[in-house]
Amino acid sequence: MSNMKIKAKEKGGVVKVKMMFTSLMADKEEAEKKQIAVEYITQIVGKCNGAVVFEVTTSGFMSENPLFKFSFKGKKGDTLEITTTDNSGKTETDSEKIK
Amino acid sequence: MDRRKFLGASVVAVAALVAPVTNLQAVDFRATKPNAWTAEHSPEAIKEMFGAGGLKTTDKIKFTAPKLAENGGSIPCNIKSDLDLESVAIFQDANPRAATAVFTVPVGGIVNYDFRIKMRKTAVVTIVAKGRDGTLYTVAKEIDVSIGGCGG
Repeated sequence: MSNMKIKAKEKGGVVKVKMMFTSLMADKEEAEKKQIAVEYITQIVGKCNGAVVFEVTTSGFMSENPLFKFSFKGKKGDTLEITTTDNSGKTETDSEKIK
Repeated sequence: MDRRKFLGASVVAVAALVAPVTNLQAVDFRATKPNAWTAEHSPEAIKEMFGAGGLKTTDKIKFTAPKLAENGGSIPCNIKSDLDLESVAIFQDANPRAATAVFTVPVGGIVNYDFRIKMRKTAVVTIVAKGRDGTLYTVAKEIDVSIGGCGG
């Protein structure tokens, strides 16, 4: 199940990345209120050519289906690999070629 | 290879040489700073995350967010800076726990992050950034959340 969308575009040596994840981002209190399981992404790591280009540790207070935009110095044709980890330790990986 | 590209490439190469190997590895703030994630208020969370150092207010970090958020469930924010930062953290006082997100900036990385946060009520959002020299910078902004989402 791939539940993320990634778009990466290079212009003038800078790669702009837009990515969206499908997650309820429900923290303890919210999950209780809605009577659903606690589920949120705790970490998102972006790698390009083995080097970390983006990294964020998140909590349940990011919005539902979190959207992130970031930039890094890179070039066309490389592959960007995004890995997310959720509160239960489940990881998901997806990759996208830089256009 | 033209001159500009060559210069850029050599800067990256030098940075890669200078940077310790650990920088290539992801840092899990949840594992290293567990107390920061359970603190209820921003000051405590900041203290847990970055230590008790003095915070310096700066205008070199640009934090963009709507003054009035119509939908507290999704507030678009942007952080932009030209400073050489190591990590950027977001704290707010609206939710049961203050810590929201911590970005780790790779060496030579660009600080330009867009993200969306959730807030239950009107509160102050504090950005704390740690420079590579250890200086702590801070920017704060109050975001009004109109419950009901009518924009009133």
